[in-house]
Amino acid sequence: MLKEVTNAEFRESVNQGLVLADFFSSTCGPCKMLSYILGDVDKTCGEKVMILKVDFDKNKDLVEEYEVTGYPTLILMRDGKELVRKSGLQQKPVIVGMIEEYMD
Amino acid sequence: MTDGIIYTYCKGLVKRQAEKESQMMAEWKSGDYTLEHPFIEVNPYLINPLSALVVFRTEEETSVTVTVFGREKRGNISHTFPSAREHIVPVLGLYADCKNTVELRLHEGRSHTLCIETESLGEDVPQLVSMKTEPEYTSDDLIFLTPSLNALATAFDYRGDVRWHLTVPVVFDMKRLKNGNFLIGTERLLELPYYMSGLYEMTMIGKIIKEYRIPGGYHHDQWEMENGDILVLSEDLRSATVEDEIVLLDRDTGDVKKKWDLKDCLRPGDGPSGGYTARDWFHNNALWYDKNSNTITLCGRHTDSIINIDYETGKLNWILGDNETWPDDMQKYFFRPVGEGDFDWPYEQHACLVTPDGDVMCFDNGHYRSKIREKFLLNRDSFSRGVRYRLNVEDMTIEQLWQYGKERGEEFFSSYIGNVEYYGEDHYLVHSGGIQYYGEHASEKPAALLPDDPNMRSESITVEILRDKVIMEMKVTGNYYRAEKLSLYHEADNLPLGPGLILGEMGVTMEMETRIPMDNSGELLPYRYEASVTEEDDRFTFKAIFEGGQLVMLMLEDGQSGDEHGYFISTSKNKFTALCCGTFIEKDPRNVTLSVNKAGLKGTYDLRVIVDDKKYDTGVQICCL
Repeated sequence: MLKEVTNAEFRESVNQGLVLADFFSSTCGPCKMLSYILGDVDKTCGEKVMILKVDFDKNKDLVEEYEVTGYPTLILMRDGKELVRKSGLQQKPVIVGMIEEYMD
Repeated sequence: MTDGIIYTYCKGLVKRQAEKESQMMAEWKSGDYTLEHPFIEVNPYLINPLSALVVFRTEEETSVTVTVFGREKRGNISHTFPSAREHIVPVLGLYADCKNTVELRLHEGRSHTLCIETESLGEDVPQLVSMKTEPEYTSDDLIFLTPSLNALATAFDYRGDVRWHLTVPVVFDMKRLKNGNFLIGTERLLELPYYMSGLYEMTMIGKIIKEYRIPGGYHHDQWEMENGDILVLSEDLRSATVEDEIVLLDRDTGDVKKKWDLKDCLRPGDGPSGGYTARDWFHNNALWYDKNSNTITLCGRHTDSIINIDYETGKLNWILGDNETWPDDMQKYFFRPVGEGDFDWPYEQHACLVTPDGDVMCFDNGHYRSKIREKFLLNRDSFSRGVRYRLNVEDMTIEQLWQYGKERGEEFFSSYIGNVEYYGEDHYLVHSGGIQYYGEHASEKPAALLPDDPNMRSESITVEILRDKVIMEMKVTGNYYRAEKLSLYHEADNLPLGPGLILGEMGVTMEMETRIPMDNSGELLPYRYEASVTEEDDRFTFKAIFEGGQLVMLMLEDGQSGDEHGYFISTSKNKFTALCCGTFIEKDPRNVTLSVNKAGLKGTYDLRVIVDDKKYDTGVQICCL
């Protein structure tokens, strides 16, 4: 499942198993491309991972809390605990590989 | 102006030089050129305006000595060519914007004096600020500087006069080969900021003897092996990381014979320097093959370390650097400082070398001068230097034997680039090539990203040191990747004739696997994007202007076969964190450049561009055989 979330929605969802947070900005070309890629990833991974898109500019407290210094930044978490993060545009196989490595 | 795209076909430099040489040969073969009336062509190979080609015939076989007269006698540049009847004489070391006096003297004594006029060099030349020499300084060789910002490769004599200059942005290390030619990076940019298509083997007159195309491209440094093969710093164009591969090229074919991936001996992310990024995790800026140990020494700026690997296996032997922040399992590779004298580790260093007795030297930039963020120094508080270490690999101890530069502090500080050269015991060259001031103090931002800021000033200082005495110090405006002392002439063939060879293969350009689902609008790409395509035999380069944050993808679509390829173009600003060569950075950050190699493509493709929510035609077709 892939959705853009507010601060409250993020906090509600982040503890529900494997979550991939995408800190993006609407002013960033690579973030726009990543959005299409995450759409593809969602089709491949389905229910195995929840993909939450977090607007970097609208959620400064989350940005600070997760020490995100730039966008796009992907953070894979399980039950709210960070497993791995990647900065910059990533291709689909890299993201799928990252998710599969941490799947149950 | 109408919408669409400006298309240009660009013939490669090797081919253009071959055509020029062929024309010149036809002319000198058909004419009756003598000592008194020789064939003369200034800048015969199109890229060295301070050179000329002089051809004439003599009745008897004789040697000929050419002398370019200097502004004073010490500035004469002279060379004697072997006996022949047809004398093909490369004239090197002319002054710019000058009527040069050049003497041709036959062995038998007859001579003739020519006047060879040159044009001014324009703005791509370093401006000399000062040149100081001591009597011990020998003036036979020139000091060659290779580009890091706008100014191009240039060489200065003992007075600081420019005697050699290339008008194309060939970049990075300039290394003389055993046959007298030199290797340097091509001007063909694969990807910003400075990943080049490969190497040129070139003569001092500027003729390319061989162009080596390298599948993963070229950056920073190369090394000629004893059998002539070439070790090159490269990368995998389709990898998510850069500057972490080394390849061995067959000298005759350009084929890759062996490859080392540094991810096999190091874990990306271990021991990061202040400039580390996940993509450019090692930032390999130098290599040195040591025959005695059959090892390769490499210089990883983004790990603050110099590493040594086994040539055969690629296995890690040791790491020279500050061991702070490195994981426990890597600590066994580090050295422990010993000795009574001063000792500093190198930080974000460049240009490692191994002396004949196994000591390791480098240009220690001292950028951040710590591995701990809280202890990072500002550039104004740090220092750069040339340094020599003695290693004991038995007990893993290290001693600092020598350094030059720490005492000069901020004035000699280069946050990036620079090199040292070893000329014998107690005889070194130290090049602080990346000095940048913002106002009164060392800049904290790269000059390449602030090209029009009047507060930014960049300089380069090169010193030669003999027995702890500075015997030459040259200061010029601008930044220069490396300095090398080389002679213009050598004892082998200074100008092999015949067309240059193009060897090796370009790699396959990385595509975006994910497609942006979008129908073709049928509209031409609007003129406001100022788009252009330059096609070469083995690739094409797309340039345009987009606003930061726009979504842009270049598409190649073969309507007949349905084959399509997509290449993402980033419109992010200031996306470069390490700019050893900022020569190709455009002043306007909205400019984008994408080079696509034809390798791996087969068909006739329509070139289309997706910009945000629309796919545009360009009216250009790219044919890949």
